[in-house]
Amino acid sequence: MIKRIVFLLALPIVLVAGWWFVSAGSTDFYRPPLATILKAFADTWFGERITHDILPSLARLAAGYLVALVVGIAVGVAIGRSRRLRAATEPALEFLRAIPPPVLVPIIILFAGIGDLMKVLVIVSGCLWPILLNTVEGVRAVDEVLADTCRTYQIGGWRRLTHLTLRAASPQIVTGARQALSIGIILMVISEMFAAQSGLGFTVIQFQRGFQIPEMWSGVLLLGLLGVALSLAFRLVERRALGWYHGLRAADREW
Amino acid sequence: MLEVNGIRKVYDGHGRRVEAIGDLTFSVADREFVCVVGPSGCGKTTLLRCIAGLLEPTAGEVLVDGRPVSGPPPGLALVFQEYGRSLFPWMRVRENVELPLREKRLPAARRAELVDTALDAVGLSDAHRAYPWQLSGGMQQRVAIARAIAYEPGVLLMDEPFAAVDAQTRADLEDLIRTVWQRLGVTLLFVTHDIDESVYLSQRVIILSSAPTHVVESLDVDLPDMRDQLSTRADPRFTELRGHVYAQIQKAKQEART
Repeated sequence: MIKRIVFLLALPIVLVAGWWFVSAGSTDFYRPPLATILKAFADTWFGERITHDILPSLARLAAGYLVALVVGIAVGVAIGRSRRLRAATEPALEFLRAIPPPVLVPIIILFAGIGDLMKVLVIVSGCLWPILLNTVEGVRAVDEVLADTCRTYQIGGWRRLTHLTLRAASPQIVTGARQALSIGIILMVISEMFAAQSGLGFTVIQFQRGFQIPEMWSGVLLLGLLGVALSLAFRLVERRALGWYHGLRAADREW
Repeated sequence: MLEVNGIRKVYDGHGRRVEAIGDLTFSVADREFVCVVGPSGCGKTTLLRCIAGLLEPTAGEVLVDGRPVSGPPPGLALVFQEYGRSLFPWMRVRENVELPLREKRLPAARRAELVDTALDAVGLSDAHRAYPWQLSGGMQQRVAIARAIAYEPGVLLMDEPFAAVDAQTRADLEDLIRTVWQRLGVTLLFVTHDIDESVYLSQRVIILSSAPTHVVESLDVDLPDMRDQLSTRADPRFTELRGHVYAQIQKAKQEART
């Protein structure tokens, strides 16, 4: 256990230490010493920026991500269960997925204005596809013997959906949700670089335009840390939801 | 009462016509234990899926308690050969056994009672909280059998349930099935490719031909009701019966070749 923690932390510590010493005496305006950046970090972010920038950003991310989850899983289950629907929607889905979401920002602004709705929609437009497509695959691959078992025991409707379809597809759905989370963080920042008054992306751009270089660097650092925190939280949820799956996989390897 | 009337099943696909079942007619009386044996590839699984309402026959009909089957009939349970794939890996043993009972809308107390009795009957009273994949193959098949028992079916179908477990576990499970059948008073149709097993287990053996399948013979097993792995298998009558079934299957195979 201790060995594992040392192993996990070794590289980050080396990198931070390297940054610290290499930048220590720097007089370059654009590359301030790490010490300066860290001081700016504390001054900048532990204050009213928490409620003014960090929380609004996270709220928009959460809203967009949740909408994408609900819509992606619902539509994915519908498509995955019907061969005809799958054949009909596949080309369209492949096309939509291939569009890089940032290019949609100007279009979404036309329809949704420049408020929170626009930013949430941008996040949805990027997070939706990996969730939807993975759900379709997962639902399609439900084991036939399990499906027959449900039919024989007259398990149908809602119970079949919650006890068979969604559970069997859950490893795939989680894979999609993980991809969507990192896309969501990227789009959260990008959507705030267009026409915004608050948020992390907006603030970082403001600092850059105002030549507040240590503050700009501290914003980048904060985004990185947020990404790590979200992915850790995701892993906790995954371990609870997919405990059976990891156990099953380990048991399969043993036999 | 289970009746199979003139079942025929033809698979059409990729320009190839395969007649899996030619013409099958037989019936199983209430509380009877019947084994179906036949050469490999004679459409035993196809037959079972037709009876269970999972597959529609090309012609003919199946009647369960006088009602024609057009989808999985109520009061029928099926134990699959692939135990590893027929249990829900995300549910504990207890939840696996209980799920069909919830669909039957039984009250919680009754459900708990049925699950306890069923798991006791298969010798798994201390595995309630395990996940199926934490158990050995034989124990997993016991869970599947417990699920079928708890469901209190009128008709129980078993599709080569012991084909994938080791020989000793298999002997235990055979005796378990005999006990369950006697205690439950269920109509039991058991498909196997193992001739010894068919004679040891059942009251009657239905011998099938190679595809296109028809019934070669329906053979009454006149062995005493109390079966025992040692004495029954050493009984001269047992040897005689299994020899007869073996000869019939060999003959059916040869006829198919010519």
